[in-house]
Amino acid sequence: MLQPVAGQLERYMDLLSARQKLVASNVANADTPGYHTQDIDFQSEFLKATGGPPRVTEVGDLPMKNDGNNVSLDREARLLAENALRFQVASQLMKSQIRSVRSAIQEGKS
Amino acid sequence: MSLFSAISVGASGMAAQRARAELLVENLANAETTRTPEGGPYRRKDAVFESSTVSSPFASVFSSQLESMGGVAVSGVVTDMSEPERRYLPGHPDADKDGYVAFPKVNTAEDMVDLMGAARSYGANVSAISAVKDMIQRSLDLGR
Amino acid sequence: MVGPILPISGVSLPQAIRPAGQTGGGGFQDVLSSAIQNVEAVGQNASASVERFLAGEGEELHTTILATQQAELSLDLFLQARNKVVSAYQEIMRMQM
Repeated sequence: MLQPVAGQLERYMDLLSARQKLVASNVANADTPGYHTQDIDFQSEFLKATGGPPRVTEVGDLPMKNDGNNVSLDREARLLAENALRFQVASQLMKSQIRSVRSAIQEGKS
Repeated sequence: MSLFSAISVGASGMAAQRARAELLVENLANAETTRTPEGGPYRRKDAVFESSTVSSPFASVFSSQLESMGGVAVSGVVTDMSEPERRYLPGHPDADKDGYVAFPKVNTAEDMVDLMGAARSYGANVSAISAVKDMIQRSLDLGR
Repeated sequence: MVGPILPISGVSLPQAIRPAGQTGGGGFQDVLSSAIQNVEAVGQNASASVERFLAGEGEELHTTILATQQAELSLDLFLQARNKVVSAYQEIMRMQM
């Protein structure tokens, strides 16, 4: 009964979680030789009709250091904040959805 | 791999950076050490990082390895075995018969910059854990 | 002049009122059972999600919370509807015939 907007929001939150996990991996491996920055194509994953875990890709055009590592802590810090904020927004919207449905049910009591 | 494992990943990053920092501090502290218990001057040490899986006590035994990748670990410590730096100091207690003293090959400036890098990376891992914790907390709030 | 007292004829019982559902084959009964099935399904889904989460199989917390919320709301709605039906039934039964 929370569909369809809630379904979209849940998918959004799923993808944000997946993305944040990759950011955590990138940050942990910021100094690992040969490690390449990982990410997901958020937009296309979100628009995909079928659900399922998103495809992890390597990020191109990032400057590479001598040891083959291309992690940019600036980029990861920015994504970390952005993902967290978007997740906040989505969970807020979801909360008010739930609250609305709950109110509607309660209203019918009288 | 749920968000909880992202916390383990961040923790592994903190541990690795800390190990790296400790070695750098050891290098800096021994930049002038000409005598060690093993004989000869202090030899510079470096941490070797490697991507690794993270395990969590809550993870299912069936969760695939692919899902738990993403952490980092110190796979080893590399000791600099190259020829030490020799300086001519005939009066020095550790001088050899030609008056040369073997000194550690520690580039103090470089190691200080590396140490700052390690501190910055450590902080970045702390931020990552904090952000993930916040997301988990908000997920929990959905139920309130 | 009055006629002879005629014997009292038996009172015939009225025809049993057939529930609307039985005649049509659809109607209220089906709506009810599909509603119950739905609540059960949503409940099962929530339980499964909780199990997966606790077993550490990579289920996201927000997925589990949303599934349990959905189950809660479904049950809530169902109970409210049931209460309404029951009170309507009782009101009808209270009516004097």
